[in-house]
Amino acid sequence: MRVGVEVGGTFTDLVAVEDGRVIVTKVPSTPRSPDVGAFAALTASGIDLARIEDLGHGSTVATNAVLERKGAAVAFVATQGFRDLLFMQRHDRRNIYDLFYAKPAPPVRRKDCFEVPERIAADGAIDTSLDEATVRSALIPALKAGGYRAVAICLLNAYANPAHEQRLAALIGEALPDVLVTASHQVAREFREFERASTTLLSAYVQPVIDGYLHRFESKLAQSGFRGRFTVMQSNGGRLPAEAMRQSAITALYSGPAAGVVGATRQAARSGFDNLITFDMGGTSTDVCLVQEGRPSLASESEIDGLPIRTPVLDIVSVGAGGGSIAWVDDGGMLRVGPQSAGADPGPACYGKGGMEPTTTDAHIVIGTIRPGAFLGGRMTLDGAAARQAFEPLAKRFALGIEQAASSALQLADANIVRAIQLVSTERGRDPRDYALVPFGGAGPLHAARIAEELGISTIVVPPSAGVISAYGLVASDYTKFDAVTRKMKLDDAAAAEAGRVFAEMRTRLAGQFADMNLPGELVYTHTLDMRFVGQAFEVGVEIPASRLGALDAAYLAGLFADAHHRTFMHGATLDRPVEIVTLRVGATLPIGTAPRLDRETEASRGTDTTRIFHGEAWIDCIRHTAEALGPGQVIAGPAVVEGYTATTWVPPGWTATLDEADNMILRRSS
Amino acid sequence: MSQLSPLDYAVISQALIAAAREMGVKLIRSAYSTILREARDGSAGLMDRHGNTVAQAELIPMQLGPIGETLRACLRRHPADTLQEGDFLINNDPFEGGQHIPDVFIFTPIFVAGRVVGFGASVAHHLDLGGGAPGLNIHASDVYQEGLRFPPSKYDFARDWNGGSFERLVTANVRVPDLTIGDFNAQFAANAIGVLRVKQLCERYGADKVEAAMQEMQDYSERRVRAAIAQAPKGTFYGEDAVDDDGLTDEPLVVKAKVTIGDAEVEIDFEGTCGQVKRNLNCPYSSTLSAALSCVKSVLTSPDIPYNEGMARPIHITVPYGSLLNPRPPAPVRARMIPAYRAFNAVMKALAQALPDKVIATGFDSTTALCLSHLGDMGYSVYLEIFGGGYGASRDADGCDAVDSPLSNCSNAPVESLDIDYDFFRIVGYELAPDSFGLGARRGGAGFIRRCEILKDDVQLAIYSDRFRLAPEGLQGGEPGQRGYCRILRANGRVEELRSKAAVDLARGDLVEMFVGGGGGFGRLAERPDAMIERDLADGMITRDPRAARKLAAE
Repeated sequence: MRVGVEVGGTFTDLVAVEDGRVIVTKVPSTPRSPDVGAFAALTASGIDLARIEDLGHGSTVATNAVLERKGAAVAFVATQGFRDLLFMQRHDRRNIYDLFYAKPAPPVRRKDCFEVPERIAADGAIDTSLDEATVRSALIPALKAGGYRAVAICLLNAYANPAHEQRLAALIGEALPDVLVTASHQVAREFREFERASTTLLSAYVQPVIDGYLHRFESKLAQSGFRGRFTVMQSNGGRLPAEAMRQSAITALYSGPAAGVVGATRQAARSGFDNLITFDMGGTSTDVCLVQEGRPSLASESEIDGLPIRTPVLDIVSVGAGGGSIAWVDDGGMLRVGPQSAGADPGPACYGKGGMEPTTTDAHIVIGTIRPGAFLGGRMTLDGAAARQAFEPLAKRFALGIEQAASSALQLADANIVRAIQLVSTERGRDPRDYALVPFGGAGPLHAARIAEELGISTIVVPPSAGVISAYGLVASDYTKFDAVTRKMKLDDAAAAEAGRVFAEMRTRLAGQFADMNLPGELVYTHTLDMRFVGQAFEVGVEIPASRLGALDAAYLAGLFADAHHRTFMHGATLDRPVEIVTLRVGATLPIGTAPRLDRETEASRGTDTTRIFHGEAWIDCIRHTAEALGPGQVIAGPAVVEGYTATTWVPPGWTATLDEADNMILRRSS
Repeated sequence: MSQLSPLDYAVISQALIAAAREMGVKLIRSAYSTILREARDGSAGLMDRHGNTVAQAELIPMQLGPIGETLRACLRRHPADTLQEGDFLINNDPFEGGQHIPDVFIFTPIFVAGRVVGFGASVAHHLDLGGGAPGLNIHASDVYQEGLRFPPSKYDFARDWNGGSFERLVTANVRVPDLTIGDFNAQFAANAIGVLRVKQLCERYGADKVEAAMQEMQDYSERRVRAAIAQAPKGTFYGEDAVDDDGLTDEPLVVKAKVTIGDAEVEIDFEGTCGQVKRNLNCPYSSTLSAALSCVKSVLTSPDIPYNEGMARPIHITVPYGSLLNPRPPAPVRARMIPAYRAFNAVMKALAQALPDKVIATGFDSTTALCLSHLGDMGYSVYLEIFGGGYGASRDADGCDAVDSPLSNCSNAPVESLDIDYDFFRIVGYELAPDSFGLGARRGGAGFIRRCEILKDDVQLAIYSDRFRLAPEGLQGGEPGQRGYCRILRANGRVEELRSKAAVDLARGDLVEMFVGGGGGFGRLAERPDAMIERDLADGMITRDPRAARKLAAE
């Protein structure tokens, strides 16, 4: 049996899959100790832990450690003259008119930052040797006195030559064996010192927390008779065995959204779709990601709490549009939706827990797409009158009917999601019409059709159990590790050959790491070159097809780069400028083979009935189906609503919905 | 507005703002020179067909403010209806709506069904546009010595750029043509993105709705600014600050502002400001407008109000002609950020009397431009970087440490990036400066030091900065911040202190130490909580316990 347990902010979801049987469980999260909620989900599901072969876990432990500043006491060591790297940052402001601006605060105090005499040049040459005497006489006593659990080291140009970082780490390790030492070349061998320092610091900061959490989790599992493999999700869309994750904490940040993308990608692939735009609409926000040929897009940088992280993550864009997002009017008279959310408490007005503000969930009740008595498969009853009442002030303000006000709020939420999708598609040179939309999360399938219409998308793939796809992603994802090295070279045939050689080295290193993790099997590699025109500062990543790796030449690489540059910036391809390679990236994936099949969860079947939905400018009649009652191949013509346990799908006029063999519901635009 | 539903308006306006943001991102990411790509000294936006700013990528406040002025100067000569598809407009003329020579504004008309519905606009600070010295000529005594001037003019992109005559003219007159032409191309690309996005919006919603939304966005900002003005205390308030000197004499250059807050409008008059000067510290009219508007916007309104032409409508600004803040041609204007900051400070000090909770004390508030250049076998290599300093403190918070000053928003260049790109110098220190700020109930933001080691002979240094002589004042009993300095530690051990506007030759082994000071404090030091003092002591941000002096004074 394979089991995924995903700890979210509000709910902890569990998906268990065995021989076509699916168990789905939702329990409230326990933010103080997330493992309690995770074990509560396991208990609630009634699963015998001894029968689990594969347990995938995702949690917000690492993310919360940073957001709540609950990581380890950490010291930072830099090259002499640069101890303030983390406070200087990039000298810019995120909001240019804010007089009271404060920079993102790194989780370290200035008193905990130290420096050592040394300097390495950009080409890796040693300019000033590491002053070991000073390290011994000044730095180490200071580190001892500070009582740190972790030390982060980031020396200038260490990406080009890590010798000084390695030596310094060894010296500190000898003197302070209980302190965890993280050096920048271990987490991000790329140039730009502040971004690398921030990544290194955050990694050192969360590592002891993750280590402790996973250790606790593993012992509890062992006590409960678990004998399978315990794995943890990463933000890059792959997982790692828990013991390996304890060494690689930085990749655990924001793993939840990544799990959802992987789950949706796997499930859509069963129906033959591999160019996708996934969108996960939850309670407070929507996460959007573009998937090309079955592989989610990667970004080489992300941030947490304003601090940069320079490791590959799924390129997920988040907007504040979810089921709890509040519709409001600002002081200039403009209608807005989100980013403020009613959250789970008090929640939307219809929850009847004291919320008075109109939310998108309330809007759905007003227009009829959500039935007050059928939320979460009828496990929660909603107050329809409260939802209408919440929209009254907005309706009055704009002289609209209550339904029109609700409908406007929904369309505005859709527009926010559309912009997020444009950010990952049109702004990256991709046409959304070439992709199928894959909505999930509780609210996704309700909004999908309208968003598809806005973007000209004609196919939607609604996965089964759309509300718990993230938990499914935990057991459907492969094992992944990435490596990157900055090696600036002007692009010529010799550089192309050198790139091939460095790639081979990186593959060997990654293969060694998989062997160390006890993960045997054939690895699949991806190779990316970050290139730019000489003189530019931002690189464009170009993926090199595996078939061409043996014979790289300058003309071929320059051609690939010109195409990619033009796609992104709409200019540059015609410029006869020299090109340079800046960073080489290799991803190694150990495929898990066939992902377990996620079937529609079985529930007591109900029939169909008719209902009325406010669509466009009027109420229209439509049919309401129960997801569990649909048979494969059955075609439903819009307008129709399909209710499921974890999510409801809206099929507008002009669309049809068909349940296919893979249990995906495929929506197509027919007019 | 009648045909525009609240929904249409919300959706179209947000899409226009998103398009402007995308333009800004692409401008920076496809640029070539360090000043544009790393320091991000450029901006972008969308304009309506009348030349009014509609939406902007929030990059550099100074450049954003008067883009409308700059475009309208072009439209007076080349009205929208006379433009053809493929035309672009260009302007960097300080005396015709531009700011200073390096900031080149390019506008691309957006045609829908044969009619101009608006413009894609971008501006970039170009590393070198010719003139009397690489990157920065601090000795210029008129605008002609500051580089190539493009009066408001019209060119055809296909004919005149991409190997055309205009491009060749620019190429022939600049020292680093590869970078400069590359940065121009980044501007054209940014504009093209804006044009495309607006066309797509017009296709989806109709040009009339998009144009109506453009007007409503301005009305919206105007309404929000008027609402904020209505709540402010009424009256006339005065503020004053000064530039150190003009680089030739030791005479401070005084800037005065009279601010009158009415029921729904604000009037600002710079009467009493000193006359224009012989060196580059003159501030063109557009730049003065921008500084005053940025100050009023920052103080009066919440940061989420979009900056566009409507925002400026309730604010009336008068600047005497021939003064430091509205010079006659051909005055040199390269360092216009310095007097612009004093205009900003003078207006802020006036507003401080009306709205003490919404202002900050005076910060270091200067643009320090540091330019190093070297002529090698491969041609010129020019490094130009912009430094801010510490922000002033406010009633509730310490000022921001080591950040670009309020009218600008340049990033630093990563030291590792400079190590890759330049072989004639390297950065050997970059640190917060303890004790550089004014103490108070809240302290000013810290300034910082950047140390630069020269690795070759025959390197030229040019700087302009300010507050080397006149410190930023505290507010409501807060103490002043420290003054800045630029010091050369010669290889032979000699130390040279530079003036705030200076040029000097350097040789291998010399060390340049650039120090920018911190901001003024807010409120009396006696009211500073012990925990904040102890934290600063532990972190080495202050090196002496100020409570010792406090106690002594009490005894």
